[in-house]
Amino acid sequence: MNVEIKNLKHKFQQAIDEVNDFIKLEEVYQLFFGRKSGELTEIMKNLKELSGEARKEMGKLINEVKTELEDIYSKKKVALQAESWKNIATTEAIDVTQPKIPATEVGHMHPITQIQQQIEQFFISMGFMIVDGPELESDYYNFTALNMPPDHPARDMQDTFYIKGHGDWVMRTQTSPVQVRAMQDYGVPLRMLVPGRVFRNEATDARHEHTFYQVEGMVVDRNITFGDMKGTLEALAKHLYGEETKMRLRPKLYPFVEPGVNGEVTCYLCKGDGCRVCKQTGWLEIFGAGMVHPEVLKAGGVDPEEFGGFAFGLGLNRLVMLKYGIEDIRHFMSGDMRFLGQF
Amino acid sequence: MYISKQWLKQFIPELETITDEDIARSLTMKTVEVEGVEKQGEFLHNVVVGQVLSCEKHPDADKLKLCRVDIGTETVQIVCGGSNVREGMKVALGKIGAKVRWHGEGELVELVKAKIRGVESYGMICAADEIGLGDIFLKQDEAEILDLSYIEAPVGTPLADALGQNDVIFDIDNKSLSNRPDLFGQYGIAREVAAIHKLDLKPYEVPTIPKGKGLDLSVSLEAPEACLRYMAVAIDGVEVKDSPVWMQERLRAVGIRPINTIVDITNYVMMELGQPMHAFDVAQLARNKKQGASVLVRRAVEGETFVTLDEKEHVLSSEMLVIADQEKPIAIAGVMGGKNSEISDTTKTIIFESATFDAKSIRQTSTALGIRTDSSTRFEKSQDPIKAEVGLKRAVELTLELCPNATVVSSVFDEGVWQVAHGPLQVSLKFIQEKIGVEIPRAEILDILTRLGFDVKEKQDVFTITIPSWRATKDISIPEDVVEEIIRMYGYEQVPSTMPVASLTPPPKNALRALEHRVRELLAYEGSFTEVYSYSFNAPELLNGVGENLDDYLELENPIAKDRPFIRRRLVYGLLEHVEKNVHRFDTVKMFEVGKVFSKHEPGDAVINGEPERLPKQDTLLGAVYAKKGDDLPFAELLSVFEQLCERLGVSAQTQKSPVFEIAIAHPGRYADIVVSGTVVGYITELHPAQQERFGIPYRVALLEINLNDLLSLVQEKEQYEPLSLYPAVERDIAIVVERSTEHATLQQAIQEVNPLIVAVELFDVYQGDTVGEGKKSMAYHVVYQSKEKTLEAGEVEKVHREVISMLEKKFGAEMRK
Repeated sequence: MNVEIKNLKHKFQQAIDEVNDFIKLEEVYQLFFGRKSGELTEIMKNLKELSGEARKEMGKLINEVKTELEDIYSKKKVALQAESWKNIATTEAIDVTQPKIPATEVGHMHPITQIQQQIEQFFISMGFMIVDGPELESDYYNFTALNMPPDHPARDMQDTFYIKGHGDWVMRTQTSPVQVRAMQDYGVPLRMLVPGRVFRNEATDARHEHTFYQVEGMVVDRNITFGDMKGTLEALAKHLYGEETKMRLRPKLYPFVEPGVNGEVTCYLCKGDGCRVCKQTGWLEIFGAGMVHPEVLKAGGVDPEEFGGFAFGLGLNRLVMLKYGIEDIRHFMSGDMRFLGQF
Repeated sequence: MYISKQWLKQFIPELETITDEDIARSLTMKTVEVEGVEKQGEFLHNVVVGQVLSCEKHPDADKLKLCRVDIGTETVQIVCGGSNVREGMKVALGKIGAKVRWHGEGELVELVKAKIRGVESYGMICAADEIGLGDIFLKQDEAEILDLSYIEAPVGTPLADALGQNDVIFDIDNKSLSNRPDLFGQYGIAREVAAIHKLDLKPYEVPTIPKGKGLDLSVSLEAPEACLRYMAVAIDGVEVKDSPVWMQERLRAVGIRPINTIVDITNYVMMELGQPMHAFDVAQLARNKKQGASVLVRRAVEGETFVTLDEKEHVLSSEMLVIADQEKPIAIAGVMGGKNSEISDTTKTIIFESATFDAKSIRQTSTALGIRTDSSTRFEKSQDPIKAEVGLKRAVELTLELCPNATVVSSVFDEGVWQVAHGPLQVSLKFIQEKIGVEIPRAEILDILTRLGFDVKEKQDVFTITIPSWRATKDISIPEDVVEEIIRMYGYEQVPSTMPVASLTPPPKNALRALEHRVRELLAYEGSFTEVYSYSFNAPELLNGVGENLDDYLELENPIAKDRPFIRRRLVYGLLEHVEKNVHRFDTVKMFEVGKVFSKHEPGDAVINGEPERLPKQDTLLGAVYAKKGDDLPFAELLSVFEQLCERLGVSAQTQKSPVFEIAIAHPGRYADIVVSGTVVGYITELHPAQQERFGIPYRVALLEINLNDLLSLVQEKEQYEPLSLYPAVERDIAIVVERSTEHATLQQAIQEVNPLIVAVELFDVYQGDTVGEGKKSMAYHVVYQSKEKTLEAGEVEKVHREVISMLEKKFGAEMRK
């Protein structure tokens, strides 16, 4: 029996060496380990006939051999596995440039939404609150509360949609009415941002759209300076167009601020040298701003002796058009998936 | 508005020390945007006055002529196609090297010696628009060359000199100057330029009007609330002829066409000072008793008709102010004069008017009549009454200069009640420095304000500032206005940028905006939908066609082109219109919009906070549409995307059959309310197949609308999780045949409720067809059994499963399928 066991190892090794696929390997394995008539199984069955010390010794020997055989088996298995993967470079080769069929569908957020979110996040990071206001607004908030009483000439500059049967309702011409609503609703100090849809009654063409988007921002607190306004706007300009962006201000009349300015930034494309984006000027006009007019503070229930502030506004359509070189403002409202699918 | 550098130089002798570019830049940065700088005569290099000595037909061309032209130094041969060229004519001759724009179009081309149909030509006889003079000399005929025969300059004179075309014209954006009535004339801009560049400004000096009599003139101001000041004087013996060249040049430079002495004088004063003037021909006015003239400043009679100088007839209303004689209006005050008192060649006696009309009144009249003139534009800005007097004096001075025989024949009338809001304002140094954020020195502040014409006294760091009349009408009235003056002159670029200092208070959350953005991101980036924007305005044809009641809609008073006056209540119609635009290009159209809609009958925000009146409610909706070629049940796909959205939002939404439909174009068999926590927040449906054609959509379309304001209160953050069971789950399948009307949601709930061991009920197949019988459907579910306490034995599962089967049989008449 002893010899039989020792031969078994040799025999198994020989059989395994001749194997070159998984099926044969399993056959050989079964030949030795098979439950019914495997050679090793048979030997183990015979163990029952022995007793005492001999049985113990033999048992130990069989276990040793069994471990060795299993080791041989698994080494062979690993070797066969390795062998089988040798040629997958060709057998399993694919066209790596071929897309999935059908293609995965991809959705898109409107480019104005994207820039709006970007600007919202920037100001939220500075502790601004995001405020919303009615798009159909009262004449009072859209004009009067913003230091544009009835018959103020500046009202002419904003072609306004009026609502039939409600002489004092308008489609808001700007996001600025929320300045006064926010001061009334939230009090001061106040840091807020109002992105939203605004309306002007003018015929549409490549440069004009009667429905467009603005972002309005306002800070009201004690000790707010013109320099603070400049710093905040510069921070925004750099956020939008990069750290090296420069900004310049020019006087501009907006009835709800005093002083009022127009803000230009160095063209992001040519960095101020002049190019098609900036029409060779080196500058892009992107916002209006100013120190909040005392009348507007009063309308918001804020004491202009104690508090002051600044406000600014940007046209989102324009920002997006400049960023991507979009030639026609009408694309934004067109719902054309060939356009929207690019963002 | 155009500003002439030559004109400015009259008032700022040292202006030549500043470059044109500096003037433009500094005005832009400190006062008003200069939109363009035009150097006159730019096109006139190598263009000289020439005289045609002879003019013969070209031997080989019918329309061309062969000319010999004297250009002073020599005589040159020119081939010319001008229709009006003739012997003796003085012409603009472009020599070799001159740059011209052929027929006034395209790029500049440099002239070279050329052979035209075999004949050599040494230059070109130019048309006005070929050398940039098209605006000044209007062509009568396309092939007309510029006829300069009236010019006195000898042949060979450079044309720029001959025409006085040596000015520099600044085009300023006066639309944004509505607060600066003083800048609507050359002198006002000169004052600004002088202040910016610290140059001396000549005072505007005008002589007193000589006393005169001869015409019995009376002036009565009947509407003093609409006219602050009305001044008038009569002059006899005027000569109406061409005004002198220098005046014509000035006027042309600023874009005014010269007409005649008197009209040119009124325009000249307006352009110089910003004070609109008017002149009436006395001969055309009704005579009063003493053969004199009466001028009335009164309101128009309602319905009165009036023909203005441009020969248009207007119907006036009683709020409008007119200038009238005893019988009829002779001008619409401050807007436009009348045909009936126009200055003509035969005019001998005139009345000059120089007035200050109320800005609001002028603006209303001008808007109501649709007439905007140089005059109304200026009066709308609230003019300085002092300027009315200066203007009148200047006009008389010019008239006496241009018409040697003219004499003043009336006293000077000066009616009206007005005062100048000179202030003074008390502004502290501290206020100025704190507003700007820079410690601008006291001396600099004093200097800036003084240069701008303010009278400033300073005591213990408080400035007492007297506002000059030209800034006092409505521009400068509060200390903040003074701050602006200082800061713009000091230079915005000199103010250091700082960041506001504030307490680290976190801002209140805007939950609705956060939800809007989350919905957008999920639908776009998980649901593969494309976000669109559509207009807030609908067309009545559309709304009527889809069965909307127009009475439910708010309407614009003044819509664009009248085609879309109704303000949207829903997003789906706009979305369906967008589907149509895309469905012919893309097999799949998946779009959504997040936007506000307007409810006429429901109250929203206050019209004015604290007052009861409300604006219409303006909720934010989500609308989505889905159509795909070949998909005849898009409802299911859209519902699945929506369910995925709800899952992400932490909302458990159910679809529920509804007897009433939100929209009339819904598919009646495929419509469901969307219910969240018992509240209907929207609906999902398909477009009725019969309506597809209306929208031009060839496939079935699914659509949904959700009110995000309503949904917001129902959104919950996930707060719990289910601990993982330690014991295995057992899955059993069940297939049943039930009535087709039986709803999945009901079945699922009924199965679930049979026993707590049932932890999940998942539908995996639905079949309708011949094998299950008419009016029936087969539904197959995985039923998952699991205990939290132990491993379930086969018997226990079997027992519950039998209960499920018998419940289904009893309650739903279900038939088990094998």
